[in-house]
Amino acid sequence: MALTFSTSEESTDLVLTMAGQLDALSAPDILTTIDGLIEKKHMMIVVDMADVDLIDSSGVAVLVALYKRSRSIGGKMKVRGAKDQPLAIFKLMNMKKVFQIA
Amino acid sequence: MAKYPPITLRVPASLLYRDVAVRSITAVCHLIGGKATDRSSDSLDLQRTFDGEFVSAFSEIFNNIAIHAYGGSDEGEISLTMTPSSDQLLVEITDTGSTFDIDSVPPPPVDDLPEGGMGIHIARACLDELKYEPGPPNVWRLTKSFPKNEEQEE
Repeated sequence: MALTFSTSEESTDLVLTMAGQLDALSAPDILTTIDGLIEKKHMMIVVDMADVDLIDSSGVAVLVALYKRSRSIGGKMKVRGAKDQPLAIFKLMNMKKVFQIA
Repeated sequence: MAKYPPITLRVPASLLYRDVAVRSITAVCHLIGGKATDRSSDSLDLQRTFDGEFVSAFSEIFNNIAIHAYGGSDEGEISLTMTPSSDQLLVEITDTGSTFDIDSVPPPPVDDLPEGGMGIHIARACLDELKYEPGPPNVWRLTKSFPKNEEQEE
């Protein structure tokens, strides 16, 4: 399943909502949008992964890139709604030490 | 003790077909130990973790074959043989692409967050055993045992 994504605002947070598979196939597309998201200078970026059913190492790399760029402007990032395989990967890689997983 | 015959599947070596294989792997994961009939929350958590980790490992190896062994050409084929038993799943993945030097994979970075190159490390971490035999054909063997819950351990 391809990845679809959209952005919205909740209070002062920027919410990036994804659905489908965040993987080697979809990572290049979303990577090109990250810089545009950072330019909006929100101090909190929320990645909603409730409808993401698979993430691979390329997908994790996208989140790491987003986290690093957000941090570079003094911002934060958190992931919410992850379950099943994506949550198993985050636990395995201990990603909660990097960004908040709600 | 449940015993199942090996299940085989062949798919084109393209990331577009990975989901077909992932869905098969997930269904086979549910055969392990008959856990699908035990709906307690602990067993469901164990099942989700087992499924998630096996699918994660498999996805990384599939990516590796499609992108590196076949160079992203979308040509060639990937063959799977899934052998479930009562408490373990073995999946053999065969390809006829370029061989891979698994010993050349650098260790994961300790201090910096990586933005790539973690596929093999994720696969290893998700499995009990990951073996690779260069070919032709190249053969990957992925093995993982289903964890026992506390009641089974008593």
